[in-house]
Amino acid sequence: MIILNCLYIIAEVLLAIFFFRFGLKYISHFGTLGENTQLKVWNEELQIYERKTGDNSMLILLFSVFTIAAIILFIWILCLIVKNIRKMIQLNKKGEHILSFKEVLMDLLDGKFHITLLAAPMITLVLFTLLPIIFMVLIAFTNFDSSHQPPGELFTWTGLTNVTDVFLGNSTKTHTFFGILGWTVLWAILATFTNYILGMLLAILINHKLVKFKKMWRTLFIISIAIPQFVSLLLISRALEPAGAVNAALLKCGIIHSPLPFLTNTTLARICVVVINMWIGIPYTMMTFSGVLMNIPAELYESAEIDGAGVLQSFISITLPYMIFITAPATITTFVGNINNFNVIYLLTAGGPFALDYYQAGKTDLLVTWLYKLTVDQHDYALASTIGIFIFMIVSIASLTVYNHIGSVKKEDMFQ
Amino acid sequence: MKKTLISGILAASMIACLSGCGGNKSSAANNVDDLNSGSKENESSSTSKKDVTLKVWGAQTDQELLKELCEKFALEHPENNWTFDYGVVGEADAQARYLEDPAAAADVFSYPDDQITTLVQADALYEVTRDVEKIKKENTPGSVDAASYNGILYGYPMTADNGYYLYYDKSVLSQDDVKTLDGILEAANKKGKKVHMDVSNGWYLASFFIGNGCTLTLDESGKQVCDFNSEKGLEAAKAVREFCNNKAFVTGDDSVLQGGIGDNICCGISGPWASESIKEKLGDNFGAAKLPTFTCGGKQVQMGSFLGCKILGVNTQTKYPVEAMELARYLTNEESQARRFEVLGYGPSNNNVASSKEVASDPSLKALAEQSKFAISQHINGDFWTPAEAFGAELEAHSKGDLKKMLDKLVEQVAGK
Repeated sequence: MIILNCLYIIAEVLLAIFFFRFGLKYISHFGTLGENTQLKVWNEELQIYERKTGDNSMLILLFSVFTIAAIILFIWILCLIVKNIRKMIQLNKKGEHILSFKEVLMDLLDGKFHITLLAAPMITLVLFTLLPIIFMVLIAFTNFDSSHQPPGELFTWTGLTNVTDVFLGNSTKTHTFFGILGWTVLWAILATFTNYILGMLLAILINHKLVKFKKMWRTLFIISIAIPQFVSLLLISRALEPAGAVNAALLKCGIIHSPLPFLTNTTLARICVVVINMWIGIPYTMMTFSGVLMNIPAELYESAEIDGAGVLQSFISITLPYMIFITAPATITTFVGNINNFNVIYLLTAGGPFALDYYQAGKTDLLVTWLYKLTVDQHDYALASTIGIFIFMIVSIASLTVYNHIGSVKKEDMFQ
Repeated sequence: MKKTLISGILAASMIACLSGCGGNKSSAANNVDDLNSGSKENESSSTSKKDVTLKVWGAQTDQELLKELCEKFALEHPENNWTFDYGVVGEADAQARYLEDPAAAADVFSYPDDQITTLVQADALYEVTRDVEKIKKENTPGSVDAASYNGILYGYPMTADNGYYLYYDKSVLSQDDVKTLDGILEAANKKGKKVHMDVSNGWYLASFFIGNGCTLTLDESGKQVCDFNSEKGLEAAKAVREFCNNKAFVTGDDSVLQGGIGDNICCGISGPWASESIKEKLGDNFGAAKLPTFTCGGKQVQMGSFLGCKILGVNTQTKYPVEAMELARYLTNEESQARRFEVLGYGPSNNNVASSKEVASDPSLKALAEQSKFAISQHINGDFWTPAEAFGAELEAHSKGDLKKMLDKLVEQVAGK
């Protein structure tokens, strides 16, 4: 126990050293995120403007987050020490056995094994996911954009400006956000359900008694999975260009007289991405449904037939409930995946056609591709971070609500 | 016994805390020492031979030449022990990679002139203060202007070929045809050929507006100024719409032009990077000329353009500013630029190299030089591209929308912030 406390104290000392030697100079600027930009001083001898390093808002924010985490850890360990000492005093009074260090260690492999097991995942989760996310979330409350790039220009706290910009203040940004949000939801619904329904129909068709060479058909459709998604997407986007293969073929055949604006007309581009997404997605749903179909007990159909049910009746009463029940959780995952379906949109249209009434976005942009453009092309980190928070809220609320209301969760025990 | 132990532990932790504070004080003292020693180092630099490590960024294709020139520089400057660290960062990525972590970025790096605003605002670049008059004299005025911001030179002009002009098929178009856009369209329509221009790319789209005297630049505070919605801009936009509605018009990126020229495309607008492949396709029919004039408000107006440069900049975070500047100066001097043209074919910004026989006889660079009389520097920020693309795409799609309203929206987005 004493060795354990000593270890705790060593940890406390290390944290304190970290705090005073490293964290303090950052956290002391946390309120303003730095005031002194890099200074220029004329050096007559060398004939140059020498730079005196100033503050860097981004580093201040980043290391402040780490320092605050260190402070919390410090307090937590302090509590542990106090608790341990109090326990030792109590045990001592009662004259009971105080655990030796070895026994404490042994306990970690036995009674407290869950702590040992979870330690590594938890630590990495906090270090590589939680802390960066906090850092990113904090950026949403600053004005870190293209005109506030440290070390030349520092950024600072602006409170909820970004949030109000998106919802009320800035008409272009508001219009863009809601326009893109609407399309994102529409896209997610269309992309999920077209794949769902058509994949199901395809699976039923292939599985039908009258269809010969079932394995061949299945393999043919699965071959399209073998080609990496981004390759087929880039190829298709090339083929759909005004001078691309599709237009050239249609022109040669005399079906059209001028190239069709597949990816430059809003409606056509939206239809194109949904249709091409089917090409990418249907083989996967077909595979899932084939598996489910083959697992439906044949007796069910036989007894239905004896009771006089037709093909349609047994489909509606047996196949459909069975499939929906099993695939509902996977469908939610697909839906959420489609809200954030970066690949299909970015590689096909890059969000285009761009719109004059949108802020740095196009008519097929999803929230996530807009976010990407704001970050990578525009360096508008604060706005992008705000949008990121909204995406998170929308996705988590939607999926949690739906998830808690589907049959497979409510009647979890029905399938054993 | 236990109690004394506990109090001992507590005392130890107190001491630890105090020593933590003590550590802080001593580190502050260390910092002061560091500063002093830093300045001492600087003082001693001019007298004795020292180790200088410089990190240099260049594009993948330029790496070999970069190494060659850096090694030559080291030979000619034996007063220091040089170590060069080469990084593959193309010009287009320079700004983004720099801003990720300025302290870890290269000491000397090349960037295109359209990034100069962001880089200067981030205080990334050393002003050129040594030899500045000489450098301004040695390089073309256009390239010096491109490398300057608010009248201060922020880098060493390296190339001056980031512009565009007209490529044409001599078997379809005559030298007279390519003087006017109307002439080109007429000849192309007669032979059933197409005229290529990527109107839905702000870089090319701007040539109509610049040609008709519109402004697109940044003011002293870094705010973008754009008057494309003026009377002149409206005239230019009408000309763009007419061009897009012409039967011979075809759009698309460079690959469309490179693939189609000589077949169904008779001419197109692009830059020096397309030169090789177009030469290959057209062979003896290869032609390059300055951009044509276009009919605008009843008059013939010369199309303008952007002329960009690649510039070598010196990172303000470098430990060896003077040495980095010397290297940047060397890499952009007459000799290096001549070698760069010889090896890589990049158009030089140096006056002497630009007027040399080899450069002047290159048809592409000759066309670029002619066009550069009507070109402006690309002092614009990132807010321009997306709205400009949106505007161009609408015209390409033969939209019948009100041009004035569209231009108002464009300007609001471009010059809004």
